[in-house]
Parts: sequence; C-alpha cells; structure tokens
Amino acid sequence: MPEEAKIETEGVFEPKIMAFVCNWCTYAGADLAGTSRMEYRPNVRIIKLPCTGRIDPLFIMKAFENGADGVLVSGCHPGDCHYTTGNYHARRRWTAFKDLLAFTGIDLKRVQFSWVSASEAIKWVELINNVTDDMEALGPFMKFKEMNKKGPNQG
Amino acid sequence: MENELREKAKELLESGEVAVVIGYGFNRKKTRITPVFITKPEETDKLVFNELCVNNLSIYLTRKYRDIQKIGRPAIVAKGCDIKNIVVLITEGQTKREDIHILGVTCSGVVYKQELFKGELKPEIMPSKCHNCDVRNPHVADTVIGEKSDFTPPEEPTGMVFDKIKEIDAMSDSARWDFWNEHFNRCIKCYACRQLCSLCYCERCITEKNMPQWIETSAHPRGNLAWNLIRAMHLAGRCTFCGECERGCPVNIPLNLVNQKLVLTVKNAFGFESGIDENVHPPMIVFSEDDNENFIK
Amino acid sequence: MTDKYISKDGLNGLIASVKASGGRFVAPVLDTRQVVYKEVSSAEEIVDDYILPRNSYKEIAFPQTEILAKYELTRDGVTIDPVEIVARDTVVFGARPCEAASLASLNSVFTWDFIDETFTKRQEKVVVLSLGCVDADDECFCTTVNLSPASTEGSDVALYETENGYIVTPLTDKGTAFVSAHSDSFTDVAKGEEKKELVNPEKVEGVDLTKLGERLAKSPNYDNPEWAELTRKCCGCGACTYSCPTCHCFDIIDEGTAFEGERRKNWDACQFNHFTLHASGHNPRDTQYKRYRNRFMCKFHIYPTKFNSTGCVGCGRCIRVCPVRLDITDLMTAMSS
Ligand code: SF4
Ligand code: SF4
Ligand code: SF4
Ligand code: SF4
Ligand code: SF4
Ligand code: FES
Repeated sequence: MPEEAKIETEGVFEPKIMAFVCNWCTYAGADLAGTSRMEYRPNVRIIKLPCTGRIDPLFIMKAFENGADGVLVSGCHPGDCHYTTGNYHARRRWTAFKDLLAFTGIDLKRVQFSWVSASEAIKWVELINNVTDDMEALGPFMKFKEMNKKGPNQG
Repeated sequence: MENELREKAKELLESGEVAVVIGYGFNRKKTRITPVFITKPEETDKLVFNELCVNNLSIYLTRKYRDIQKIGRPAIVAKGCDIKNIVVLITEGQTKREDIHILGVTCSGVVYKQELFKGELKPEIMPSKCHNCDVRNPHVADTVIGEKSDFTPPEEPTGMVFDKIKEIDAMSDSARWDFWNEHFNRCIKCYACRQLCSLCYCERCITEKNMPQWIETSAHPRGNLAWNLIRAMHLAGRCTFCGECERGCPVNIPLNLVNQKLVLTVKNAFGFESGIDENVHPPMIVFSEDDNENFIK
Repeated sequence: MTDKYISKDGLNGLIASVKASGGRFVAPVLDTRQVVYKEVSSAEEIVDDYILPRNSYKEIAFPQTEILAKYELTRDGVTIDPVEIVARDTVVFGARPCEAASLASLNSVFTWDFIDETFTKRQEKVVVLSLGCVDADDECFCTTVNLSPASTEGSDVALYETENGYIVTPLTDKGTAFVSAHSDSFTDVAKGEEKKELVNPEKVEGVDLTKLGERLAKSPNYDNPEWAELTRKCCGCGACTYSCPTCHCFDIIDEGTAFEGERRKNWDACQFNHFTLHASGHNPRDTQYKRYRNRFMCKFHIYPTKFNSTGCVGCGRCIRVCPVRLDITDLMTAMSS
C-alpha cells in the first residue's frame, strides 16, 4: 500500500480491528481461547451478536466510519448455526456486499470473513494474528480517515 | 397502437373491471411525457405510448400511494422492463397478480432522458437496458398491446454501463475509490433515487432512522457513501436495472453502474435474474448449501 | 454610476482581481454534463450558452449543511463549541434575473421573527451580477410571476450581453462599490457596443396571480379534491425543493458518535413524508398531494401574505428536474380559475 504506508503515524502503528461475531460459535471459540490462556494480538475489539444473520452490512460501514482499519466477520460453520440457517443467509449477503465494496475501491483484505466454531480456539488465535498482520502490512485505512477529516460541502 | 391502448383502457373502465388506468400522457405543451391517471372512459384518449415513455409507473402500485389505491383496482400501462418491477412487487407480497390489470406494451426502446430526444430515437440516446432488452414483448401481462417485436438481445451485453463496469473493474483500488467519491460527493440527499424506485417501498427508510442514526443525512462524503452503498445493497437480488434511480438523480450520479454490478454478481453467484418469474424466491431470502464460499476463511 | 463594459476575455482580469482581494468568483460551469454554479479561477471555465444552472446559488448563503456547533463528551463533562460563521466575499456571475429576485425572499424568511445570522452574514457578502437572458426554454415562466429577463430585483449589478462582452450597469450601493473596487477590470462603453436582444418568455395562459392568491386564502379550497387529482403523480422526492431558489426549509440535527460530533443545520424538504411526522405517529400531511399542496401554498400564499415577498420566481427548475414532470404552472392555471 504505497500511498498509505507513506503516511507515517506517530510511533508504532497499532491497527484497530472490529470483529462482529455470533454468540454461539465464534464468541464461544474466542472465550475458550481466553479461558485456555492462549495469547493473541490485542488489536481486536469484539462485538457479539446473536447470529451472523444479524450482521447488517451497515455494521461494517459504521466500523470503518468510526476509524476501524479492518473488519472481521465470523460465525458458526455452515450447518452449525444455532438458528439453523442464519449463516447461509449471511453468506449470500456477504457475497454481494464484498463485490460492492471492491467495486467502490475498498481492498477486500480490510473486510475478512471466517467460520470459527466453539471448539476452534486455536483457529481463532491464528485468525486474529493473521488479520492483525494483514492490517499492519496495509497500514492505517487512510481512505476513510481522510474522508472523515473533510468537512461537509459547505457554501 | 395508441388506439388499441385507448380502446382497451376504455373497455376496462366502462365494464368497471378497473377504476383507474395508470398510463402515460403528454404535458400541456405536448413536449414531454408525464404519468396520467385516467378514471373516466371518455378521458382515455389522453393515453399515449412512444419513445419518451421512460417512467416506470410501477411506483404507483406501492403502498406509498394510498390515495391511488383508494380509487380502486388499477390497470397499468407497462413496458417489459416495468413489468419486471411489478413481478418483484408480486413476489414480495406488495401486490397481488389478480389485483392489477397489466396493459403490457410492446416496445422498441425509449430515450435515456426525455431532454435528449430531438425527433429521432438514435441508439446513442437509448439506455443500456434497451440495447440488451429481452422483454420487448411483455412477459407477464393481461393484455398485450402493439405489434410483436422480433428483437433479440446480443449474447454479450453491450452499452455504456457494461463498458464502464469493465473499465472500473480494471482500475486500481485507489482509482475506483476516487471515481466513486467524486460522484457520491455531489449527492444532495434528495432521495429521488429512492422515491423513483418501486422496489424502495419501505415507508420508513433506514436513512430516516435516527435512534440510533445509521446513515448521516448531511451533505458529507461519509454519509453520501454510506447512503449510496446501502441503497444499492438493499436492492441486491431485487433490482431489475430499470434505470429509474439514475434517471431521477438531479446530479447525474451513475447509479446504474452500482446496480448493474450487483445484478451481475447475483447472476454469477446465484444464477438469479430479477423480475422474470413471480414464483421464484429472490436470492437474498433463500440460500443453497452449496453457495460459493471461497472468500470465507 | 454610468454604465461600464467588460469583454469576455476581460473577465480573467476581474476574476484575478476578486481573488486578490480575498473573494471568490462563482459562475456557471459544466460539471458531469450539467451546468452548475461553482467557484472558478479562469474565464475559460465559464459557459455562456445556458438557460439556468442546475443548482440555485442560494447555497452560498444557505449551504446544504452548515455546522453550528461541535460537541465532545469527556470524563469531566460535555463541552460545546459554537462554530464561528465564516462568510466569504462571494461574487455570483451570470445569475439569471428570475433567480436574483430570490435572495430577498429568503432573507424575508430568515429575518422574520429571528435574525438567522448563519444566513444574513453570508448574504451580506454576496454580490450578484445578474445576466439578462437572450434565450429561454419551455420551462421558463418568469413573465407569469411578474418578473422578466429585464428585471433587476435582487441584483447588484446587471450585465447585458453584447457581441464580445457585457455592458455593466451597477444597481445598488453594493454593486457600485464592487465595480469601483475592481475598476481596472472595467472600461467605458465603446460607441456602437450593442446589447443583444433579451428574450421574452410567453406568459402562461390563464394564470392570474391575484385570483390564485385569493383562492388559496379561502379555506374550503384547501380541501378541494382537485389537489389530489392534479398532483397524484408526485413521487415525493426532494428534487424540486432542493433546486428551488426560494425553498428554505431546514432541520437541525446532531450527527456523530455518542462521544463527539457536530450540530448541523441541513436542508429539509416539505416533500419528504417524514417532514411533518409527529412523534406520536400521526402525520398531518399523510399523502403526497398534501405535501405538494404545502409547497404550492408556500410559494403563492404564505410568501406573499406573510412575508410580503415573491414565492416563486418562475425559474422553472422544479419542472425541469421533476422526474415525473409535474408542472407547477399546470397548478397555477387550475387554481386561477
Ligand atoms: S428495456 Fe426493453 S421494454 Fe424497457 S424500454 Fe428498453 S426496450 Fe423497452
Ligand atoms: S435500484 Fe434503480 S434500476 Fe434498480 S429497480 Fe430500483 S430504480 Fe430500477
Ligand atoms: S437521486 Fe442522486 S442526489 Fe438524490 S439522493 Fe439519490 S444519489 Fe443522491
Ligand atoms: S417553485 Fe419552481 S419555478 Fe418557482 S422558483 Fe421554485 S424552482 Fe423556480
Ligand atoms: S414535484 Fe416532482 S420533483 Fe417535486 S417532489 Fe414531486 S416528483 Fe419530486
Ligand atoms: S448462530 Fe452462529 S451463525 Fe447463526
């Protein structure tokens, strides 16, 4: 990311990552990682939702608007959804939304999707570490940050 | 063709089968086409159909127009592409097939904007949808009016919208971002795009919710981006590419590009085309266990 | 002050002179296949064969979004910082005579019971150089509302096109001061320099503003079923209101996060279905024709009677921009009878 890397932030860049996860699998998986005292990168802020079916594309927009450098969306593996089909619907929605984001020029590494079950604490740890690495490599999400700095189109 | 249309409309009104005919008519100066609502049989000679009939009249079938619904059962003059929107409205339970009389008109294309018409319908003033139209003979109708068209759409979609999408797809992320920001920054939040779309029939749009507020209403690039992306997203798998939103946009934002992009996505990923068959469920309310998930880790 | 002259090339000098004095020069330019008012830095950007720009220049004094204050929530409490109004000297070149009449109307609303400084401070700094129209389209109807391409209401300096330039007639003190301040850019009018003939758009037949006003004032007409019939097709977008030079409604809204944000004054439109929605869920203007009726009443009844000013200046923007081609003059005719 040449143009973004150029913009030096003060000191070390600590990416802010927003994770939207479902209550029954991914959150439980993250919890297991915690209770098992596994260590992972501290850059992720988790928001727990009942199901991936509840994750509205607007959440992703809002996360970026509020300064997230990356967004992670995660839930139960297909077939395991607590509400049977929430994640199948979510998968369709993401298919469309990711294309739309890419079409507007948002690097799809900034929005990542994954399935993490309640027992996959190790997968969670690796996922967070990888996503954090990706965001570090990409640098701060200047596109949104610059947009935020702009005032309204005032007379 | 117009005589046929007027006769049929008269017949429908006289027999009491419908209470209102929603159609096209001329303005006072006879320079532009505007929607008309005919309730008296003797007024049916106001109805016209020509290449200036761009409006998709299906908006008047939605629940936003309570006072039109109060008049009674409607007949609606509709081109094939307008019928696609009616089909979606039926699929989504917004109207019932038997509650409307569709006066389908065969069509040989319309202008992109009425202002462009200088006496002749040249290909360059037609929207991309017309160049690739597969419904010049209305596919769902109670009465079909006009001579049968023998137009076959090209295999590969052609037209400005498709060329531009290819061009944007080939750009770098930053170039795409700049392209869209430049366009979206002009958005004045007039919501003409939403009001003209018959599939935007929500009585309370997400952008009007303010506790909490999801989309900033100010003329700020942030809210403009969110509005335009979420509007498009809410039409994923539903949009028929009728082009009304773009036609209505007073600041010329190329909304057809975003719409068609999602139409293509839905077609490629789920093999679905909107507005063809009212009995097929739209892709965002169903799923297949085999949906592609190569982007999910 | 006597008439002056400026050539089309000479505009470059004027633009530079305005810029040098810290002002900005707004003129009609081509942007995304439309003519719009925008700041320019050279005369070459300015288009001269236009009827009316898409946007109204009201947005200079009444921007679509205006920040009124900034707020921040911290451990120690809430801080609210009012934002100072930055009004810039602005020259509007090429305003049409119909539109020039509009700023005075807006002023009458913004100074009626309370002086809205966000408007007045900006308006004070606007110098309007109106340009007489040599061409009109089907939608222009200034003559029907008692204005014309020759009217000078609201204009500070009237410009009239000649073969290669403009004859400059200062009208107000502001206008005279402007021409004097940039006197190097203007010359005396050469002999033989002739104004091009102005157009004279036809009056819309059957419109009688007095009758119209009287009719709107009578309450039974308010519930006339004709309203519904005539405006049924209106789709309730804000395109007409947002393009209209005399529409002035706004909404004040706090936008931002729970911790920091801005209080903003944003344009609003009576055509939106939530404009009059009450918290109880009741909406006194529950169908679109009632909203359109409000807009019409505003132009032809409220403005003239309450503010004693022109409501509709006949620019025709709302007709051009309307996606369903609802023509305000159709209603004017219907309501005149
Ligand atoms: S898309 Fe087809 S039916 Fe619609 S206006 Fe064009 S040619 Fe006619
Ligand atoms: S989004 Fe636009 S193109 Fe799609 S159906 Fe609605 S109005 Fe038509
Ligand atoms: S019609 Fe155009 S300007 Fe109006 S809200 Fe939609 S995108 Fe924005
Ligand atoms: S109501 Fe229409 S014609 Fe009258 S001033 Fe406003 S935009 Fe112009
Ligand atoms: S009159 Fe036309 S532009 Fe105005 S709100 Fe109605 S449809 Fe929109
Ligand atoms: S409950 Fe986990 S995805 Fe539905």
